[in-house]
Amino acid sequence: MLISVKNLTKVYKTYQRGSSFKETVKSLFVRKPLYVHALKGISFGIEKGEWVGVLGPNGAGKSTTLKILTGILYPSGGTVDVMGYIPWQDRKKYVAKIGAVFGQKSQLLWDIPPIDAFYLNKAIYAIPDREFQRIMAHMVELLDLKDVIRKPTRQLSLGERMKCEFVMAMLHQPEIVFLDEPTIGLDVIAKDKIREFILEMNKKGVTFILTTHDLSDIEHLARRVIVVNHGEIVFDDTITTLRRHWGEKKIIAVSTVYPLPDLTRPGVTVTKRISDYQAELELDLAVYELNKFIALVNKSSTIRDLSVQEPPIEETIKVLYKT
Amino acid sequence: MKNNIRIYLVGAKTALASRMAYRGDFFMSMLIMLLVEMAAPVITILIYQNGATFPGWNMYEALLIQGVFLLGKGIAYPFFFGIVWNTIERVQNGTFDLLLIKPKSVLFMAIVTGFDAEDLGKLVGGVALFTLALSRLPAPEPGAWLQFMVLFTITLMVMFGYGLVLAGLGIVWIGNFRVYEIFESITSFGLYPTAIFSKSLQTIITLVIPVAILGSVPATVLLGRPSPGTLGAVGVSLLFLLFSLGFWRWMLKKYTSVGG
Repeated sequence: MLISVKNLTKVYKTYQRGSSFKETVKSLFVRKPLYVHALKGISFGIEKGEWVGVLGPNGAGKSTTLKILTGILYPSGGTVDVMGYIPWQDRKKYVAKIGAVFGQKSQLLWDIPPIDAFYLNKAIYAIPDREFQRIMAHMVELLDLKDVIRKPTRQLSLGERMKCEFVMAMLHQPEIVFLDEPTIGLDVIAKDKIREFILEMNKKGVTFILTTHDLSDIEHLARRVIVVNHGEIVFDDTITTLRRHWGEKKIIAVSTVYPLPDLTRPGVTVTKRISDYQAELELDLAVYELNKFIALVNKSSTIRDLSVQEPPIEETIKVLYKT
Repeated sequence: MKNNIRIYLVGAKTALASRMAYRGDFFMSMLIMLLVEMAAPVITILIYQNGATFPGWNMYEALLIQGVFLLGKGIAYPFFFGIVWNTIERVQNGTFDLLLIKPKSVLFMAIVTGFDAEDLGKLVGGVALFTLALSRLPAPEPGAWLQFMVLFTITLMVMFGYGLVLAGLGIVWIGNFRVYEIFESITSFGLYPTAIFSKSLQTIITLVIPVAILGSVPATVLLGRPSPGTLGAVGVSLLFLLFSLGFWRWMLKKYTSVGG
C-alpha cells in the first residue's frame, strides 16, 4: 500500500464572533472558542499508480485531508503512512518525493518568467543540470509551452500558468502528485491538455490524488472516487459504482410518430414533456424494465427516435452530499 | 551547506529580477528607504550644529553608533529580515503552505523567498554613515576591531531573533503588521548612546530586551570606551536567540493553514 490512512481526525479551534457592532467590540476582549471537527476518523488506502479523485462540498474536509497528506498540517489523531513516511514528522525527506499543484495558490513568480521559478526548484531539489534540461524539455513539449516559459508570468493566460504549475510540481519527478482543484477556471482546451498530460504521467507510474469540484475531472481522469462529507467518507469506490449508487436509473429521450401515451406508472418519471410527440424521462430499471418501456411506447405511438443515457453524476453526488 | 548557499543565491537572484521588473519603482523605493533611515543621523547633526549634545559624546561618536545600527539593519533587512513580511503575507493569503511542501526547513525557505532587494538602500546608507563617522574619529586598535566584529555578529543574530519573533507572531496573529511598528519603536533606543538614558532604562535595554546590542554596545568598543554591561548584553542576546528559535518552532506548530 503506497498510502495508508487510519482513523484520521483533525479538530480546528476557531473563535465565534457576532456580526453586530456590540458583539464585534465584545470579541476584542472575550472570545468564545469553537471546535470544528474537520475530519472525524477517516480511513483509506491507495496503491501505487492509482488515480483517485476526492470529492466533497465546501468545508467537507477534503482540503484538510490533502494538507495532512502533504505534510502541511498535523492531524489531531490517527495514523498516516505514505511510502513509509509520516508526512508531518518526516516532512523534509517526504516532500522531496511528492509534488503538489494548488489551483488557487501559485508557485510561479508573478513578474518574472516561469523558467526562473523552474531554476529555483532545480536548486531546491538539487536536480542535476542534464536531468533538469531533459525533464523540462519533455514537459515543455508535452504541454506545448515552448513559447511560454520565457514570458513574464503576469502576461500568461490562466491555462498557460496552470500548465507551468504542473511543470513546477513535476520537475523533481515525484512518485505521488497531489492536485487541489487544478482545472479551476480553465477553458475546455486547457483542461483537455492538462488531462492528457496527467494521464501520460499516470501511465509512467505516477500516483495522482485529486480534489475537485469539477466532476468532469473525475469522469475523465479518476478510476476511483472518495466522497467526503462532514469530515467522513461517505463513498469509496469506482465511478461506475458511484453511478449505481443513485439506483439503476437511465435518462430516456423519446420522440414518436403518433402522440405519446399516458406514461404515468411506477418506475417512470417524466421530467420534461416537450410536446405530444416528444418527452424526456427517468426510468428506474429495478421497477420498470427498458425493453418493456420501449415495447409500450412503440406499440402505441411508434418510436421515431430514442436515446438512453446514464444519469448525470451530479445527481448522484447531490444524493451523497445530503446523506 | 554548499547547496543551501546555492539555493539562497538563486532565490536572491529571482527576488532581484522580480523587483527590477519595475525599474522606476525599484530605484525610488531604494532611495526612500535610504532617506527614511537617514532621518535620525540628520536630526543628530542638526542637534550638534545648534550647540546641543548627547552629554559625553561628540557628534561623530554619536553618528558612529547610528552608523552601526543602520549597518546592522542594512544587512539584516535585505538578507534575512524579509521573513517577517514574507511570513505575514503568506499566512494571510494562504501561500505559506507552498513553503511547507519544499524539502528544506520552512525557516530557510522563508528567508530564501523573502529576500528584500529594496532594503539594499539601508545597507548603502549604513556603510556610508559608518565610514563617514569612522573617518572623523581616531583609528581603532586591531583588538577593538576584533571585539567589534564579534559583537556585530551578535547584533545580526539578535536582529535575526527579532525577525523570528515577529514572523512567529505573524503565524498566529494573522495579517498583523502592527507588530513591526512596535519593534521599530522599541529598537529605536539602539540609535543613541546607552549612557544618555536613565540607569533603569539602561538596564532594561541592555540586560532585559536586547536593544543596546543593536548599536551602542558594538560601536562603543570601536570608540575604546565599552558600554557597561557589555558581557551581560552578550549573554542576554544569546538567550534571546535561543528563545526566538523556540518561539518560531512553537508558532510553526500552531500553524493551521487556511481553508480551501
